[in-house]
Amino acid sequence: MHIAEGYLPPEQAAAWFVVSAPFVVHGSRALVRQVRADPDSKLLLGAAGAFTFALSALKIPSVTGSSSHPTGTGLGAVLFRPPVMSVLGGIVLLFQALLLAHGGLSTLGANIFSMAIVGPWVAYGSYTVVRRAGGGLGPAVFAAAALGSLATYGVTVAQLALAFPDPVSGVGGALAKFGGIFAVTQIPLAISEGLLTVLVVRLLSRTSGDDLRRLGLLRPAAEVRA
Amino acid sequence: MFALDIAAHTGPWRGRHPAEKALLALGLLVCAVALPTWPAALLSGGAAAVLLAAARVPLVVVLRAGRVPLLFVATSTVPLLVSMPAPARLAIDPAGLPLAAQTAGRSVAALTCLLLFTATTPLSDVLPRLHRLGVPPAVTEVAALTYRMLFLLVESVGAVRQAQAARLGFRTWRTAYRSLAGQAGAVFVRALHRARRLEEGLAVRGYTGSLAVQVAAHRVSVPFVAATTVLLGAIVTVSTGLVSPW
Repeated sequence: MHIAEGYLPPEQAAAWFVVSAPFVVHGSRALVRQVRADPDSKLLLGAAGAFTFALSALKIPSVTGSSSHPTGTGLGAVLFRPPVMSVLGGIVLLFQALLLAHGGLSTLGANIFSMAIVGPWVAYGSYTVVRRAGGGLGPAVFAAAALGSLATYGVTVAQLALAFPDPVSGVGGALAKFGGIFAVTQIPLAISEGLLTVLVVRLLSRTSGDDLRRLGLLRPAAEVRA
Repeated sequence: MFALDIAAHTGPWRGRHPAEKALLALGLLVCAVALPTWPAALLSGGAAAVLLAAARVPLVVVLRAGRVPLLFVATSTVPLLVSMPAPARLAIDPAGLPLAAQTAGRSVAALTCLLLFTATTPLSDVLPRLHRLGVPPAVTEVAALTYRMLFLLVESVGAVRQAQAARLGFRTWRTAYRSLAGQAGAVFVRALHRARRLEEGLAVRGYTGSLAVQVAAHRVSVPFVAATTVLLGAIVTVSTGLVSPW
């Protein structure tokens, strides 16, 4: 759910740039270090960015009869880790604004915060918690994708509520209003994205096991046998 | 390719320097967002709409690109027209109308300005120049690689979807989800395969870590920049009330 160009008041739009900046700078530094150590990783990162963008071209059937697209933050965070996702997600959001007019330049800071920072961190945190608790790959990936998508939706609703508090009940009332209006599509979408991501990872485990092992999603074969 | 990118690559403003188009379109965008909405949104959005026509951007491209963001604006404006006096109780709030109109007006104007930039400026002209704004070269190179690969991958998604539809892959919810997983899996495999092929191709050419590409030289048009400055100056002056337009 991208906040459209110009929708946020200027001071709020600027504030979200300030909030997102440290995460993007930290991610950029991590990316620069990684590329310096291994110049070939630039190609993998480019491919990861293009993959994240292409995920948004998938059309998930929606309960409202139309179709929605996944955020891709859950799968991206699990495969490529949240710091890198803050940069890759920022690049993808910039491309979505400039190639599709989804989101915008003035709202880029707010959209980066919800979709490239909070979404991936919640997704990665959920994945780690489920794995450490002894959960299998499927439940962990489902939790990552569904909660990452829900967190993105929750932050976007909070951003809108902070920008446009209810005249009577304040930010709390605005949270209920914006949350209610988008919940119809976003909650089923989060569950759909979770299920879809499990199917994707299950498919990739069969067809691209080596790639998933290299990215750390699957354990090395020797370790599994041991 | 994407309709906006095609319009940017084939339009009459293709040869103009990206900086002058950025000054015009993004200058108008800043005016639409930062200045008092009335009359800045009308002036900036109106100017951007006229300039879209002057740049011969097809109306159908503009309208199609505007559908999704306008749906968001329409949906998100509804909560501004109601208030919540008590939990789970909503009441129509006529006082919310000015705020709703202001927000929607600002957003539509800013969207028109964004479309002026995207429909006249190819992303391939912008990316190699981002390092001049302080973006690390490694980040701009990753962005350029992403840009090069995404067309292939999005096309792959379309081709796989078409093949699956021809095999009744979207007949039920169950088959639809299996087909979607197949699309994402195909894209993942193709993305990594593409990265590996690029890696091998660059290695045999003596890749040292730099992916510098030749950027077409464009000259900045002084009359264009001067006209832009006058236009932006006029909008700022009128909108801040220094000169009454009426």
